[in-house]
Amino acid sequence: MTQATYNGVLNLAAGAFLLAAVLIVWRRELRSIVALLAWQGIALAAIPLTEGIYQHDAALIVVGVVVLLLRAVALPLLLARAVGTEPGERRESTPLVNTTTSLLITAGLTILAYAVTRPIIALDPSPSTRAVPAAFAVILIAVFVMVSRRRALSQAVGFMMLDNGIAATAFLITAGVPLIVELGASLDVLFAVLVLGLLTGHMRRTFGGTDLDQLRELRG
Amino acid sequence: MSFLLLVPIAAPLAAAALAAVLGWRRLTSSVTVAAALSVLVSAVILSFNNRSQVRFGILNLFRTDALSITMLIVIGTVGTLATVASIGYIDAELAHGHTDAKGANLYGVLVPIFLAAMASAVLANNIGVMWVAIEATTVATAFLVGHRRTRAALEATWKYVVICSVGIALAFLGTVLLYFASLHAGASSGDALNIDVLLAHASRLDPAVTRLGAGLLLLGYGAKAGLVPFHTWLADAHSQAPAPVSALMSGVLLSVAFYALLRVKSVVDLAVGTGFLRTGLIIVGLLTLLIAASLLLVQTDFKRMLAYSSMENMGLVAVAAAAGTKLAIAALLLHVLAHGIAKSLVFLGSGQLQAAHDSTQISDVTGVLARSPMIGATFLVGLAILLGLPPFAMFASELSISRALAGAGLGWVLGAALLLVVVAFAALVRNGARMLLGPPAPGSPAIAVPRSVSAALVTGVILSLVLGLTVGPLLELFQTAASVLGGNR
Amino acid sequence: MSTTTGLAALATLLQVVAVVAAAPLLVGGMRQVRARLEGRAGGGIGQPWRDLRKLLRKQQITPAGTTVVFGFAPAVVAGTTLLIAAILPLIALGSPLDPAADLFGVVGLLFLGTVALTLAGLDTGTAFGGMGSSREITIAALVEPTIVLAVFALSIPGHSANLAAIVSATADHPGQLVSPGSLLAFVALAIVIIAETGRLPVDNPSTHLELTMIHEAMVLEYSGPKLALVEWASGMRLTVLLGLIANLFLPWGIAGADPSMLAILIGLVAISVKIALLAGVLATVEIFIAKLRYFRIPELLAGSFLLALLAVTASYFFATPTN
Repeated sequence: MTQATYNGVLNLAAGAFLLAAVLIVWRRELRSIVALLAWQGIALAAIPLTEGIYQHDAALIVVGVVVLLLRAVALPLLLARAVGTEPGERRESTPLVNTTTSLLITAGLTILAYAVTRPIIALDPSPSTRAVPAAFAVILIAVFVMVSRRRALSQAVGFMMLDNGIAATAFLITAGVPLIVELGASLDVLFAVLVLGLLTGHMRRTFGGTDLDQLRELRG
Repeated sequence: MSFLLLVPIAAPLAAAALAAVLGWRRLTSSVTVAAALSVLVSAVILSFNNRSQVRFGILNLFRTDALSITMLIVIGTVGTLATVASIGYIDAELAHGHTDAKGANLYGVLVPIFLAAMASAVLANNIGVMWVAIEATTVATAFLVGHRRTRAALEATWKYVVICSVGIALAFLGTVLLYFASLHAGASSGDALNIDVLLAHASRLDPAVTRLGAGLLLLGYGAKAGLVPFHTWLADAHSQAPAPVSALMSGVLLSVAFYALLRVKSVVDLAVGTGFLRTGLIIVGLLTLLIAASLLLVQTDFKRMLAYSSMENMGLVAVAAAAGTKLAIAALLLHVLAHGIAKSLVFLGSGQLQAAHDSTQISDVTGVLARSPMIGATFLVGLAILLGLPPFAMFASELSISRALAGAGLGWVLGAALLLVVVAFAALVRNGARMLLGPPAPGSPAIAVPRSVSAALVTGVILSLVLGLTVGPLLELFQTAASVLGGNR
Repeated sequence: MSTTTGLAALATLLQVVAVVAAAPLLVGGMRQVRARLEGRAGGGIGQPWRDLRKLLRKQQITPAGTTVVFGFAPAVVAGTTLLIAAILPLIALGSPLDPAADLFGVVGLLFLGTVALTLAGLDTGTAFGGMGSSREITIAALVEPTIVLAVFALSIPGHSANLAAIVSATADHPGQLVSPGSLLAFVALAIVIIAETGRLPVDNPSTHLELTMIHEAMVLEYSGPKLALVEWASGMRLTVLLGLIANLFLPWGIAGADPSMLAILIGLVAISVKIALLAGVLATVEIFIAKLRYFRIPELLAGSFLLALLAVTASYFFATPTN
């Protein structure tokens, strides 16, 4: 793999990663959001895979395959099962911030991400580090999504996006962190999805729906 | 001696494995108590041998120094009190049908795992391992918070999981950034996250990247410690969890999360100077105090009141850490220990009140001192400690914190903090008096107190009296711990 | 740029004449494609020309109470569009107006035309005119910044906002077309051109229901020759904008700065083919889309604005080592 191809593929992966996040903010149907999350997982897995192939590092390639299976296949499947089958459940109720404003806020967050990550690029101006602003932007967008959605599952998707963004940052600036930490991070994600999926099931049985606005008993 | 290092982690894990196999019964719950006690005992032994040295174990991933020994003592003490009380509490819940065998088994397995995770966090030398351990505590406590399966418990669990997971994720990002900075300061990739390596390379860490990482770690671990802005889970989770778990979470878990911040602070202060985290901690600490004090004024639920009191104390601890002097850190550690014991007393007592009245509203509970001397007296003692009254230890710790703040030139911070603490004081006194003093309302139910809960309560009172009257050998331990963190004034 | 030769000036003149002549044919062609795909016979490609001829022979009626704004607006729209047709590098790169062929100049001229028609709609004092004008300006507010950002994203690799420079830079380095910046800019530009020219899914040009109209509502009161001018101008706008996007992303065939007669002819044929192709694709896609409800349009346009912004950042920060 040549340097130019490596740069190009890395840029495309980071760009697709950010684009998936933008589309998650744009779309409102739960099924399409979960599908976009799967696409984002593929873009995420492309980063360690590309770096592994370019640097002939087998460990990175293995990590990339694991990430692909976990975040592009297993977790979106779990979330899709939790989406439920009633048509009323599929569509997101009006988010707290309307779509036009959300998109404009996303634009602002992207610019903020570029500003905030300048010291990182200054410390290590390599092609992979230059893509970090995209990953950071996804992190900020994910926090915004979690704050501005009403359905429990949309919040879960937002959390997964946050984890994807952090994993992307870790892969881009350091080619992964020590194995034990990576393991802990993956367990964290798995746990979060399991718990959130379980809780959503409980919620549906107890509250008759997963609209988070119904969680209003504990106040003050 | 690395065997002693393993005991605090291995013993609770073994108890958890036993409980997983055998379920909830007298044997397994007693083994859990023994495990918690072993944490305390090994901490005490370690303090005799190692308090002034730093020792490493298991691939340099773990360490013991005065600070981790101090935290182990806190975990061991509160852990023992809580596990002893759990025996009676869960048996009573099973008898009254508030939980089933499956719930009790889950409880029996998760609590020792929780203790093991906290022990790993304070014994970790590698901040990546520390992160994994703290994340494990979130995993263990999530289902413990939802133990009662009511609507409110479910809501509390959701908020807890979501907010703490976000916090932990941000802390992970901060850890990654520190790793990145450490690699570029010359550390090798295998141990770039070890605390001793980070301290050695601190002067070469890139300041801007370190600041970014430190900010994220402050936000992330601050979320687990109940600091603003990710504090909204605290009152819900601590009020809905079963009483011994609330005691553990309020008394120890918040402090363990803050311990993580202290470790990071020692590295960051060397890299970018003390100003950055000092400002951050002051802002976060004062805001936490403000919100906790304000919400304490309008409380109608006594368990939430106690949770906000924990939040207020963590705000005070943050402000003390901002001062950063040796006196401040030593006082902070004493405060953490005393707070842990005090919260155990009040939460265990409130657990019995909730079991008797089937409600946690302050207005429903009157004349506790008259109805049950055991619960009334111990609750009174616990409140007295929390209010910072002499002769208990929190009087001394709060006084020392004030002196430290004044000495560090943070007089205005001291003034603001004192004002807010006074507000909290007034709120606690008012609600406590309403609940404890005076004649009981007619028709109030009898308060049953299982034997193990009384044993825990009495032990707690004795411990706090001893701690208040003489800090004794612990003083030297606290001061060594403070110098480990780099406090130099 | 280099001194213009007589042939370059001829190329520019040819551009303007071709746009004037071909605009109604383009509209007719699109309608014919749609008709055929929908199974109708259609009116033929020359129908818009016949309509224009009919309108030119009719009596000019001006509503009572309108001012010179109403009177001059069609001329302003047509004039600005002709000027854009002269400036853009459609057939050849080196036009006499080249120093003014700046991105901001073109966007400004487009906006001038939009504003003129909007004011004319308000000038009539009718409810539908006002409604059409307010809708048109809402869309324009989101469209203009997006066009600027999208073309700016394309200009970053070439370091110049001059349109001819952008086109020649893309022609020299075709690999840039698959960079994230260019792809995002393409999607954003496509969406805003659809919005600017009033095609589906933003506006239905063949609707007869006034409440669903945007562009048509503004021109409801025009009749006779002025209406002919307005229709012609919108056809020319469509031609010119399609030509812009064609040459920004598929610049092959365009004549150089110092063209020969043959190169000019090749350029003419090339741009005609490209515009016809794009128009055909647009017409086909329109069959499958429904019109968006009006309150959803700002969402779409905000999304395209965001894509254009991302295109700028992608081009700026994912700088390849050759930069």
